[in-house]
Amino acid sequence: MSAETAHTTRPDMIVCENVDKWFGDFQALKGVTATIAEQEVVVVLGPSGSGKSTWIRCINRLEAHEKGTIVVDGVELTNDLRNIEKIRSEVGMVFQQFNLFPHITVLDNVTLAPKWVRKMPKAEAENKAKELLEMVGIPEQASKYPGQLSGGQQQRVAIARALAMEPRIMLFDEPTSALDPEMIKEVLDVMRDLALGGMTMMVVTHEMGFAREVADRIFFLESGEIVEEGTPEHFFTNPTEDRTKLFLSQIL
Amino acid sequence: MNEPATIKVESRPKEPSRTPREWIRKNLFSNTPNTILTFIFGAISIYAIRELLGFILSGERRWGAVATNMRLLMAQGYPANQFVRVWFTLGCLMALSGLSLATWRASGRLSLGKISTWTMNLGGGLALFAILAPISWASRLGWIIAAALFLLVGLSMWFGLRDSEKRFSGSVPTVWFTYGFLGVLVLSLWTVPYGHYAFVDGELIAETGRTVAMSTKLPFTVMWLILVGSYLIGTQVRQWIPIGRTKAVLIGLWFLSPFVLNWIVLRDPDFDYAHIASTDIPLALMFAIGGGLVLYLLSKPDLGEIGRIVAIIFLIFAIFNWVAAFFGWYPMLQKVRISFVLLALAALVAPNFAADKKTRLRFVASWIGLIAVSHWLITAINSPSTLKLQGPTYLGGFSLTLFVAVLTLLLSFPLGVLLALGRTSTMPIARVLSTAYIESIRGVPLITILFFFSNILPLFLPEGMEIAELAAIVTGYTLFSAAYLAENVRGGLQSVMRGQYEAADAIGLTTSQRTGFIVIPQALRVSIPPLVGQAIGVFKETSLVAIVGAFDLLRIAAYVVPSQTEFLGVKREGLLLISVIYFIVAFSMSKYSQKLEERVGLGER
Ligand SMILES: Nc1ncnc2c1ncn2[C@@H]1O[C@H](COP(=O)(O)OP(=O)(O)OP(=O)(O)O)[C@@H](O)[C@H]1O
Ligand SMILES: [Mg+2]
Repeated sequence: MSAETAHTTRPDMIVCENVDKWFGDFQALKGVTATIAEQEVVVVLGPSGSGKSTWIRCINRLEAHEKGTIVVDGVELTNDLRNIEKIRSEVGMVFQQFNLFPHITVLDNVTLAPKWVRKMPKAEAENKAKELLEMVGIPEQASKYPGQLSGGQQQRVAIARALAMEPRIMLFDEPTSALDPEMIKEVLDVMRDLALGGMTMMVVTHEMGFAREVADRIFFLESGEIVEEGTPEHFFTNPTEDRTKLFLSQIL
Repeated sequence: MNEPATIKVESRPKEPSRTPREWIRKNLFSNTPNTILTFIFGAISIYAIRELLGFILSGERRWGAVATNMRLLMAQGYPANQFVRVWFTLGCLMALSGLSLATWRASGRLSLGKISTWTMNLGGGLALFAILAPISWASRLGWIIAAALFLLVGLSMWFGLRDSEKRFSGSVPTVWFTYGFLGVLVLSLWTVPYGHYAFVDGELIAETGRTVAMSTKLPFTVMWLILVGSYLIGTQVRQWIPIGRTKAVLIGLWFLSPFVLNWIVLRDPDFDYAHIASTDIPLALMFAIGGGLVLYLLSKPDLGEIGRIVAIIFLIFAIFNWVAAFFGWYPMLQKVRISFVLLALAALVAPNFAADKKTRLRFVASWIGLIAVSHWLITAINSPSTLKLQGPTYLGGFSLTLFVAVLTLLLSFPLGVLLALGRTSTMPIARVLSTAYIESIRGVPLITILFFFSNILPLFLPEGMEIAELAAIVTGYTLFSAAYLAENVRGGLQSVMRGQYEAADAIGLTTSQRTGFIVIPQALRVSIPPLVGQAIGVFKETSLVAIVGAFDLLRIAAYVVPSQTEFLGVKREGLLLISVIYFIVAFSMSKYSQKLEERVGLGER
């Protein structure tokens, strides 16, 4: 599916309009405006410190933006706790450092939220968790503790944990940056399957291969601004902005 | 990737066991300084042991003072005809222990190698005793024979049980070993004439008469049977009832047991039935029904912000009630104040149960249970005791020490965690209040607080608000220890990574769920060593309750026994004995904490 069709035929999932975000006196996001449609996969690129994490974390309100509006699946993000709870149970997030809960087993990591937020019966939650672990390729690790798994396995558990809430959107903040090269592929494979399955995804990554192959659209961020956006083809073959060209020349 | 199906670690080759000779060579005489140290230290220990044995076995010692007063030391003047209450209490604890051991499956096993080592150590200890103790040659011979016997058994186990690779393969369940050991102790009550002994010219002479130790042989046998029996029952229950449910019930029973056993079984409250019918029952019903309705409404799904606001208003109202109590503004029963606090806390957690009707009704049912239990307990605590003892409390001696320590720890634990959360919270009011509380309590000595609660506070309490003797002590001690506990927990809270909070938020947990499931468990795990250190401190410092007139172990040993006409001035014996008691309890706590650390360390790395 191409970006155009996705964009025109599907309803909007994430709408950001003129989003500003400050850390003290430092402005981390400057008038970020973007619309992401249902089932669309977007990749956010940009140099370190450009505000990629900040933007993606604003989408599920781990950070609060100060100006502009963010509407996720028809719900606007404000200080209203009810909206935040609603959004968080619909948006899954995967972190660079996995952030699994080290004191409970893998299975408990995955079933915790369905049991306590969705109030799902225990047996049902566990069956679902086992299905998800199967899907990410580690069904046999359910009873281990996170500390007993490899980095790649931990990140796949983190993906399963996010998916257990049956989110409509998945956010990934550099999911493979803390992994050894041989483990990166196993995580990217899971993400690719997810994208093919129709999940709306927003991915911050430095994996250009993944961006080129899976993304419907690419946003290029610098100093808190969206400098360029477009299909991977456009982005990698003839970017219009000088700053994009410079960035690409440095990493490719 | 292909992972093995289970964590099938190949059994690591065990280290070949070294012979004692190799061990001694390696650890004691490895080089010249080490050898010199060994000799110096050996000489000092031999001298110390000799002196200590000389002290213990000296003809001047009047161990009869301890043996005769054992009942006093354990339970002060608890009426002998009511002793069945003490045994009932102990029996309940035994039953709970047995069931818990079976439920949490004490799957540990003791290797036979270890047992043989212990046997040999015991033999060695006896031999040392036989050589160093100032006793007659005839009895020395007896001890030497006993020592040789143990050494022989240990050695033959050591050599007989090893396989060709010098490894031990056999083992026995730790639980059964412990039960066997306790069984032997109980059996010895029936056969060995413990009790009043005298040393005459280095000879051990049993005085005549029935001793305290022997009078307890039947009850202790029953205790042992209850322990073993409940363990066996527990192993059967495992197969019929889901383990999770048994665990939940047992944890609840453990938590309730000190309150029920202490304030109801041991204290034997003298209920005022007219007052109960006219006031207590209607009040409880009011809170159960009214509170239940409120909570049912508050757990309505999609209530959102309003629920939180109502809960906060409740909380402010509940706190205000306590402030008012101290100024005597609104006279009301203490029970009402406590119930409002409980209601506010329940209202705070109500959103967690906002689901289908069944969950909400179950939540309301737990509320009604909570009200029933708490009102009943408060009534029992506020009714006067039928027992009239010397001093302000109905308990004394070791039982007082134990109960004050256990209750204080049980109560100050949740309070300390709450205070720690308050101090690290983002809400300024909670932060300021907790910080002010912690800092002001830490600036006041425990003795002052105990004085305040047992002597001064009752004078200020408004009409209708009374506080029972031991309850005053425990309250004061709890408030004191919670402040220190809070600081230890705070250290743990600070060690929880920010990513953990973010991950919990990202999967949609509420703040209280995040705190309860993610933050506190990780924080407590880090705080185990300081918390256990504090628990040991709480246990030992219970001796300060003597300051408000209670007769604890130390006061009885140091002042009561030496003032008896029969044992005038006999002090050292009692002090030595209570040092041993304190040491055993404190050391067990420390050992247990090491085990706990190992166990919860599993998910770490
Ligand atoms: N909590 C914070 N307080 C203050 N400044 C912050 C905070 N978080 C981020 N910043 C600043 O905001 C800017 C954007 O940070 P952000 O983490 O979004 O960058 P990024 O594009 O994700 O970089 P990287 O590729 O290194 O992860 C940076 O300059 C950073 O220093
Ligand atoms: Mg980042």
